[in-house]
Amino acid sequence: MKLAVVVQRYGQAINGGAELHARYVAEHLARHVDVEVLTTCATDYVTWRNELAPGVETINGVPVRRFTVKHERDPLVFGRRSDRVFEQRHSLGDELDWLDAEGPASPALIDYLSKHATGFDYCLFFSYRYYHAYYGVRAAAGRAILVPTAERDATVGLSIFQPVFRSVRALMYNSPEERAMINAVSGNQDVPGVVVGVGSHVPANPQPNRFRQKHNVRGPFAIYVGRIDQNKGCPELFDFFQGYLADPAARLSLVLIGNTLLEIPTHPRIRHLGFLDDAEKFDAMAGAEVLIMPSYFESLSMVALEAWALGRPVLANGRCDVLKGQCLRSNAGLYYETFGEFSATLRAIEQNRWLAGSLGRNGRQFYREHYDWPVIERKYLDMFARLGNEPPARTTDPLPGWFDRRRQDLLAAEDVLAALPGGRAHGPLKGSTMVASTRTAGTRA
Amino acid sequence: MPDFNVRSDSVNVEQIMDQIRARIREKRGVDYTEQQIHELAAVKLEKFLDPRGVRSDLLDQFRKAQPAYEPPKLPNFAFEDATLFESHRAPIRWIRTLLMPLLKLLFNPNPLIQALHIQSRLNTMNAEREARRESSRRAMDQLYYELVHNLVIETTRTGIEVKNLKMRVESLASRLEFNERRARALESAVVYRPSNEEPAERPSSPEPASRPRPSQPPPRQGQPAPRPSQPVYNAPSSPGAAGPSIPSATPGTATDVSQTPSPGGGPAGEGPGQRSRRRRRRRGRRGGASAAAIMGAPAGAPSGGLLHAPAPADDGGPDGADDGSNVAEHHEAEADEAPSTRVEPTPPVEPAPPVEHAPPEDSTKPDSDPQ
Repeated sequence: MKLAVVVQRYGQAINGGAELHARYVAEHLARHVDVEVLTTCATDYVTWRNELAPGVETINGVPVRRFTVKHERDPLVFGRRSDRVFEQRHSLGDELDWLDAEGPASPALIDYLSKHATGFDYCLFFSYRYYHAYYGVRAAAGRAILVPTAERDATVGLSIFQPVFRSVRALMYNSPEERAMINAVSGNQDVPGVVVGVGSHVPANPQPNRFRQKHNVRGPFAIYVGRIDQNKGCPELFDFFQGYLADPAARLSLVLIGNTLLEIPTHPRIRHLGFLDDAEKFDAMAGAEVLIMPSYFESLSMVALEAWALGRPVLANGRCDVLKGQCLRSNAGLYYETFGEFSATLRAIEQNRWLAGSLGRNGRQFYREHYDWPVIERKYLDMFARLGNEPPARTTDPLPGWFDRRRQDLLAAEDVLAALPGGRAHGPLKGSTMVASTRTAGTRA
Repeated sequence: MPDFNVRSDSVNVEQIMDQIRARIREKRGVDYTEQQIHELAAVKLEKFLDPRGVRSDLLDQFRKAQPAYEPPKLPNFAFEDATLFESHRAPIRWIRTLLMPLLKLLFNPNPLIQALHIQSRLNTMNAEREARRESSRRAMDQLYYELVHNLVIETTRTGIEVKNLKMRVESLASRLEFNERRARALESAVVYRPSNEEPAERPSSPEPASRPRPSQPPPRQGQPAPRPSQPVYNAPSSPGAAGPSIPSATPGTATDVSQTPSPGGGPAGEGPGQRSRRRRRRRGRRGGASAAAIMGAPAGAPSGGLLHAPAPADDGGPDGADDGSNVAEHHEAEADEAPSTRVEPTPPVEPAPPVEHAPPEDSTKPDSDPQ
């Protein structure tokens, strides 16, 4: 069996969520099938500038074929088009213009797929929201499997992606919440799908004392790992944690790991250590009392899974359906929506060792049962086997015509998103037959 | 103070969150956002304030009570020199114009015209001034009402803050009380196992059945905490093992020594200044060291007849989550601040001398070696 993994960026130094997800999956599936990665020459997700050479190289034993990006992203144009499609009534043409402005527009990659798709049994597309997925799914019709990595943001409300969700052979979801959301927005309940997620390379014996000595970290601490950004809910985390520190009984410090786009509050018990390599990151997580995930938008929190793999509890933002659902399903994390809840849950984990230990043990068990690599690999291989026994049931919808593209009859994507049902999706994590009890939201005005 | 209690073996996050939220509701009523504070200020002031004399929806009531100001339309018109002779009928106007010289021959209408003209201008000026004054007064009224409204909001906020601070004070008081109880319990929880030779030695004791008098502090209180390697104290076999506080203790006579009060009220053989040193040590011991550090008991020390002190706290190591329920229960007990701490039994404290705590009657074995 030959498998193409198509993703917007790829490389060892690229640590974005979906890209890392794609690399992990490619490397693990390469043990079972022939895998070739098709990607672009870009490494920066903001500009999509061509920084790597086109052609074929091998990364960790996986051949990677790179294609140039036609144009870089113009942030002004992209911002204007985003405002148009997310906030106003618009047309399909506006959405296609937005997709082109978003990038990474790589017609060479799509041409290659059109010509060579028959050479692959399946093409695994990561991240539905980019150019390569929208056009690549059409180019590899009948062979496309989508790993949407969809978050609950306005992009999912764009009409151009609904045919994509409906026309692929299968979808590999990250969480039941993601699945319920995509089912609701596109009505693709009959498309085979399974909640898979992704594993991680967690070391067996992390050394928290090494981390403490190197960075002079003393006492118990909570940890945040990831980009320190407004979109990740970090300002709220800072506010809440400073409020928590106002309590004289509070013992925890906050350790921040990751590159920052924000100003870190100056407080002796809030420490920013910058970007750390994986070994140090896992050492730090192993030494933490709790991992805090303040993000509002996640399709799957790999950091939370890593914390659970290390037996650490998680405190997540309860307004993120996915994180809340993960905490509830795993029984391995608490969640908050207000400062009162943040403070109370953090103190509960800090002061009640039995609770923290039980949450951590549940998390480790949850990780082993659902996100360990043998489990992940088996789900992919089972899906390939299942699709091998079923003929493709759907054909891809044709691209809209000239008049269809210009009809201003599409609702603002944010309105579409607001109409989608939210909350935790109830259903099993395993299996592919779960149908979310949600309704389909039409996007035509 | 923890926000909930988890006693079962399996964790149910949903249940825990319900407990936490219930606890928060119990503490605060609700968790207020800025918008909620405004709503409360507008609607439910009686929850926080004495609403007597204060309208809950001040601005709305004010706006309802006072519709927008419209100046009254007073009759006034400009009076010019030709006004007296104007007519909408052209022939009459022509005749009046024609006869104007004759009229002016009979009397002079100009002063009348001027007076009326001035009066018209005065009327206009007065109306404008009145409109400005009314407008200004209404703007001031708006400001006053805004001010009152803001005062109500701030008072509401202050009330909530006061409530929170009161609860915090209560929480701190309970923590303090718990810590004091724990300190007393830890001081009195040292239990000694009698040595094997003790029954044979007991008859040789000069006062085998006597109990230390309340005014006579037991020597056990004055002894340094046993070292971790010696959680069970047997009769010292060498003077060095007796510790510095009893330099004159001889092997096999520890019981005698302990029950022989020193002239100063301390143990026999205590030198001058020993008592004050003991006090200093005890104060230092109360200063926050962990139970294990105070008692010198290793985490795995057997508990029968030994310290019932809680296990030492894990300081956040990687195995903290898996280090068993003993540590967790200890922390839970700490966190709960409940009287049911793991330091058991918590004995009643006898009337203490001015400085030192008297030993609990039932916490130490009366026939044990007091050292």
